[in-house]
This record gives sequence, structure tokens and C-alpha cells, in this order.
Amino acid sequence: MEFEAVIGLEIHVELNCTTKMFCDCPNRPGDDPNVNTCPTCLWFPGAMPRFSQEALEKASILCLGLSAELQPLSAFDQKVYYYPDLPKGFQLSQAHFPLACGGGIDITNEDGKTKRLRLHHIHMEEDVAKLVHEMEGRLPISLVDFNRAGSPLVEIVTEPDFRTPYEAMEFLKALRTQVRYVGSSECSMENGTMRVDANISIRPSGTNQMNTKVEVKNMNSIRHVGDAIAHEISRQSACMQAGETIILHTRLWDPDKKLTLPMRTKFEGPCVPDPKVPVIKLSPDWIEKMRSRLPEMPAARAERFVKQHGLTDEEANFLSSDPEVARFFEALIGQGIAPRTAMHWLITQLIPAVKDRQLDLSSSPVTPARFASLLRMLSQDEINANAAREVLVYLFDSDESPKKIVVARGFQQVSDPKALDGLIDKVLTAQPETVAKVRGGQDKAMGFLIGQVMKAAGGKANPKIIRELLVKKLSEIL
Amino acid sequence: MDSIFFYRNLEIVAPKDGHLQGVKIAIQPNISVAGWPTEAGSKALLNFKAIEDATIVQRLRQAGAFVCGSTHMSEFGFGLAGSKAGEALRRQAADVELVLDLMGESRLAALHAAACGFKPSYGLVSQFGLIGLIPSMECCGLLSRNLKNIREILQTIAGPDELDFSIPDEEIPNFSPQEIDPQKTTIGFITEPQNELSNDKEAIFRYSVDELKKAGFSLREMSLPDFSLFSLVHKIVGSVEASSCAGRYDSVRYGPRALGTKNWNDMYLLSRGAAFGLLLKSYLFQGAFFQFENYGAYENACRIRARLLTDMQLLLSQADFLVFPIDNGATSGASELLADTYNQFASTVFANVTGQPALYLPPVSGAAHLGFQLAGPRLSDARLLAVGEYLLNMRNGGK
Ligand SMILES: [Zn+2]
Repeated sequence: MEFEAVIGLEIHVELNCTTKMFCDCPNRPGDDPNVNTCPTCLWFPGAMPRFSQEALEKASILCLGLSAELQPLSAFDQKVYYYPDLPKGFQLSQAHFPLACGGGIDITNEDGKTKRLRLHHIHMEEDVAKLVHEMEGRLPISLVDFNRAGSPLVEIVTEPDFRTPYEAMEFLKALRTQVRYVGSSECSMENGTMRVDANISIRPSGTNQMNTKVEVKNMNSIRHVGDAIAHEISRQSACMQAGETIILHTRLWDPDKKLTLPMRTKFEGPCVPDPKVPVIKLSPDWIEKMRSRLPEMPAARAERFVKQHGLTDEEANFLSSDPEVARFFEALIGQGIAPRTAMHWLITQLIPAVKDRQLDLSSSPVTPARFASLLRMLSQDEINANAAREVLVYLFDSDESPKKIVVARGFQQVSDPKALDGLIDKVLTAQPETVAKVRGGQDKAMGFLIGQVMKAAGGKANPKIIRELLVKKLSEIL
Repeated sequence: MDSIFFYRNLEIVAPKDGHLQGVKIAIQPNISVAGWPTEAGSKALLNFKAIEDATIVQRLRQAGAFVCGSTHMSEFGFGLAGSKAGEALRRQAADVELVLDLMGESRLAALHAAACGFKPSYGLVSQFGLIGLIPSMECCGLLSRNLKNIREILQTIAGPDELDFSIPDEEIPNFSPQEIDPQKTTIGFITEPQNELSNDKEAIFRYSVDELKKAGFSLREMSLPDFSLFSLVHKIVGSVEASSCAGRYDSVRYGPRALGTKNWNDMYLLSRGAAFGLLLKSYLFQGAFFQFENYGAYENACRIRARLLTDMQLLLSQADFLVFPIDNGATSGASELLADTYNQFASTVFANVTGQPALYLPPVSGAAHLGFQLAGPRLSDARLLAVGEYLLNMRNGGK
């Protein structure tokens, strides 16, 4: 029997707020253990939660960025479970009235078709403390770090629209891009600011059955999510073939062994409304204010790049997948650089150079204005491509303008026929065999001659002029 | 052991300016004062010392009041078993007592002390630094022989607090003295609560209400058929909230931790098992039952609560205030039983369920009745106290 998978994702995203969700402690979980704590996030008797406006704004913008609909009324509940990472016995989470409903992301599937993957809802919740288990020594001990307790999170819950690991991975990549775009989170699975659980069930292909699902946790990268889902689909298919029943449970992904293993789950009960955190009421005006802060989202931007600047879909998608790259590209266009030149030099030269130096586009000394001035000299034939690449290196190490560097270091392109004449004659005399080949119609040989003249000119000659002069001279001699 | 005080403030406080200067206030050890033992009557908080002052304590001290100590209390303030609330007034060790009112504790303690007891509107007074059990029902009650004290203290402690975001953004009542015209004030007289009283108690209540008639108020007989549901709703919703909220009292960071357990699950179970008293444990079990085994009943109770609130608002659109009997219940002694505790507070829980203000006035001295409660709409606290002051004034032969 053929099976198909029904997959839904639950994604926790840690918001990059300056403070925690219910107190003023810095939201820096990575600091030395337990330095960012106060009676509220340690939940001492008598402490009260004070809901952060910043968390609400960052969460709301994230929801709008994923086309979810902000709800006029949402509220926090107490999610009760007992575990040492949650010493107050309940986690504040929006179980009954989430912040936003609906929304979704379009992905391009393996067959090239667009598929809409829908969101069920997005809710806010606080993070819990982190347990550190020290197993070495005679007595293993568990330590609790409260730096993360009360950090603001949103949980994005999808509809079970996914059928393949590929769709899940494409969705997560697009989600990451969009959340980074709106600036609410770094959204990195590697550093734990995005955590993904997958719910997977299988059914005979083409049916509408909803079978028992299995939850898989502990994936540390988007790749792992794909691998874990693929493994779980084949494991469940084998179970079904063997006539075994699938039972509802949770499994952990083991990245080394590349398989999922059953785990013991926490005891969790239904949620009770929290009487202390005020109900959140969002007015249409406030929602519009948040919407106005929303940047142009990547899909819309890519579409505009194709229309406005004549880029291919692939080029436009690449440029708009990172907001910094997109901003840089548009700044170059604003400086009058031709879109294809800007795109080509940004992708092939500047981004790799910035990465090599472990910088960001925004923090690099090569600002859009300086890079544009370099590209302008290139397009006006003041320098050639070789020189432009070399000048770029200098731009990282010096504050001088590209123009000054070109002049001071003699990178100007030689386009004057008189200056090139003598060099060309010398090369032609020295290379009679190649000349014969050119005359025999071998185009490659022409390239070799151009290279020789360029070499003689110290790399600064204008290759177009060299070609023109060579063609002219060879026809004269004939 | 001190027969009233759990902790006495021994520091000599220099006289300070402020309109509450010279007022001696006793609190309970579920109201935080930085550095004071704040065990809330529970072994689960054994040796816990508060880290910060509760907002009300900070405001009272700022106004020149002397917080003279904390009195023995029931576990987490639930019921009055083991509590000495009212004793400091009775023995003139304090002018005012602050007692958390979860189901009517401040009003019943006032009855025992033959003093006035007031439960303010929910959300009027900051809960920051109060160690409670039933967050949507409880608030800080006040006991005094004299309503002027209560009024002036409320003037000091009521209102927004940047440490308590749960206080709604509303206009705070003005607690300055105000005139009451009894001719223009209607007091509703609900029949159902009296059905719960024995015949002689009912007669006594009707007799006590005569005082209102004599003072010139117009009385109006009204009906609230579902009055008996207040107790039931409080029991279900309150126990679920308590079971969820008491999760933080895990005896790990403070309180006695069970030793020699195999793993942390056992450690939590045994520590919590040893920490809570029988009454509280049965309450928490009941809450856990509704939350995990019968959530539908909890949801129904929440719906009924909303309906009772509407019923109450409807009555208060036809009368300015309502008068209720008070009854200290059929119990004495067997206070460890949950059912007995709820019997004891059957006449007072309504105001905790609705969040409305309620004032207990003791009887005229020598009178053979228990006094009565007056309740008003939300945020009518100042006028309610003014009506009380008017009545006390009449008793003293005033205008
Ligand atoms: Zn904190």
C-alpha cells in the first residue's frame, strides 16, 4: 500500500526584545548563569507579572509579517506542568485566546508549483528556565539557569498542510527569512532562537483519514527537521505494513544515529486563565500602526525587483532573501548603478569579500555610496574589471574615496590608442604564430593576443580598445 | 509564642509626617515587608523572608503609619482556622488590621472582634507583594472600630501601581468625607440569603435591618434566585486557581525539602505533601480534580460566575446598595473540613465572586444580633463607607 504523510509544525521563535516578557530583566539568556533575574522571573511569593509592551509589538509585527490576523482580544493562561525548569508550576501562555489566527507562507515545491502552507494561529508565551546536567563527578547534579526564564517567545502553529520533508524545510527557510525581515528575531535553529517540533502521521495515499500523530523534537537545524521527518515517515510506514498500531507519543531526534527514539513526556493539563495578566485588547488603529511599521516582505520585494529591474526570479529571490542585501542593492540602484551590474558585483564580489572579513554588509566600511562610486568608474570605462576587484580590497582598508585610490595607485584604464599602439606592435612581432592562427579564423588565439597586450600594459588597458586596435592592425597588414 | 503576633516590629520608628501618623496597623505574614518572615501561615514558606515591601506597606509607611507587626494566620489566608485576625483590635494592640479577604475572612474576623470589616472592590488596591491563593477572588480587607481609619487608609493605598498591571485603568473613588441623604438612597433587601438562615437567625437579621429603616433609607425587597450558587462557583473556580497558583510553593527554594528521595519527581511529591496542611491539601486536590478530570465543570462555573455578575449588576441598577445577613456558620472546631469552611463563609463569598465592595457593620453594642453586610456596585467603595459612617453616626446620636 502507498502511504502519504500528514505533517504539521509547531515553531517557537524567541523574540529579540531588550527585556523579558513580564519583568525588566535583560533578555540575554547567554550571559553568566542567573545574572539576569529578579523576584518576578524567579517567581518569588508576592511577585507579579508586568507584561512588556515591546514583546507585544515585536510579536504583533511578526504575526503581520506572516499574514496572520491579529485578534482584537487575546489573553494569557496558566499552562500547568511540574518540572524543575518551571519552578512556579505553570507557564504563562495564550492557550484559549491567541494573539493572531490564520496566515501562511507560499513555497515553491519540487515540481515548481506554488503551494500555500497555512498557519493555524500564533500565540505568545514565556520561556522557562534552562537545566544544565552535570553528569561527571561522583554525584550527578542538575543546575537551573533562570536567565532564560520569562524570555519572550511566540509559538507558530501550522495547519497539517505539509506532505513531504521538502515542504517543511522550504517553509522553515521562508519563515526564517520573513521573521528576520520584520526584525523580531534572529530565528536561528543553530543558536536556539528558533525551535521546531513536527507532528507526523501517515495514511493511505489519497484518503482523508486523520491518523494518530507522533511528535518529534530536538532538531538543531532545518536539515535535521527534514531528516527527522523522512525517518519518521519510513518508520511509521514500516509499522503500518507490519500491522502495528501507531500510538500517540513524543520522540526525540538523534542527529548522530539519524533516527528518532521515544521519550518520556511531561505531565500537562488543560490551561486555566491567568487572573493577573491583563487581557490584551488591540484597537484597529493600533493594528494599523503596527502594519505601517512592516517592511516590504521578501516575496513582494522579489516580484518588484523582477518587474522594476528586469532581474530573473532566481536573482530577485536571492537579493530579497536577506533584508540587508536587498537594502544595499536598492541603495546602489539609487546611486544610478545599472541593476544587472549592481546585482552581479554585489553577489559575486562584495558579499563574499564581506564574509571573508567576518563583517556584515551594514557594518562594513564599503558603504553603498563608496561601492557605487567604484562601479560608476567601471561602467564609465575609467577602470577595468581587474582594477575594480583590486580597488575593492583597498576600500576595506582605507577611508579614501575609490576615485582617490584609483588615481593614487594608478588603476586608471588605458584607453588611449596612441598609448597602446606601440605595445600592440611589440606583441604582434613577438607572436607570429598566433597571428597566423588568428588569420586562420581561430577566435581563441585572438583572446590570447588580447591577454598578452593586457599583460604588457600592466593589466590596466581597456580590453575593448585592445580588441578594436588588434582587429584593425591585423586587417591592415593583410 | 506570642498569642497574637507572629512577628512584632521592634524597631522604633521616628515620628514622620503624613496624615496616618500615629495609626498602628497590624498586618498578616502574607503581606510582604522586606526582611520580615513572610510565611503566609504555611510550612511551605518556612523561613521565607520577603525581599521587597508590598506596595500597600510602602504607601502606608510613606503616609506615616506604623506597621506594628504581623498576626498569626490560616494557611495562605484560606479560612480562619489558626488565625488571630481581629485579636489585635480586640486587645487594642492595633488601630487597624489588614486581612486578605479570599472568601470573607476580613468580614468574619471583624464580626468576631465586634469591629467594622471592609472588602474593597477587586482591582482597587495593589496586590503587589501579597501572597495569595485565589488571584481572581482575593483582595486586601481592612478591619477597624472606626470607618474613618478605613477610609483614610484606602485613600492612601488605593489606585494604580506600576508594579501591579492587573489594576484596571479606572477612576479611583474619592475617599474624602461625603454627605448621605437616606431619603434618596435605596437599599435592596434580598430574600434568598435569608432562606439559608435558620428561623431565629432570619428574625434577628430582619430586626437588625430595622436600623436602616429607622435611619430613613428606603428599603426595597428584591430577589436573586441563584444566591446559593455563589458558594459553588467560588469552590470550583477558587480551588482550580489555588491548585494552579500554589504550584510555585514547591518547598525547593524555600520551605523544608524532603530528603533522601530517588529523583526530583519524588522530591517534589514528598516535599509538597509534607508542606501543606490538611485543609489546604484537600482544596488543592479539589482544584486539580476540576482542572484535570472535570474541566467542563470548571468552564460551567466560569459561565455561571459571569451570569451571577450580571444578575448582581441588574439588582444594583434598581437599588444603590444591598444589605446581606452575615452568619458565622454552623461550624466551630472542625475547620479542617472543606465543606465546613464553605459553610462558614456562605454569607460572604458572594462579594469575592463578583469583586464588588462589601462592608460589615457590627451590631449596636448590647443588641442581640450579628450585624449585617452592605454591598455596592464596583468602585462604589467611598459611598458605601459613607453610608456606614452615617449609620455609626446615628448610633452615636448624631444628626
Ligand atoms: Zn526578571
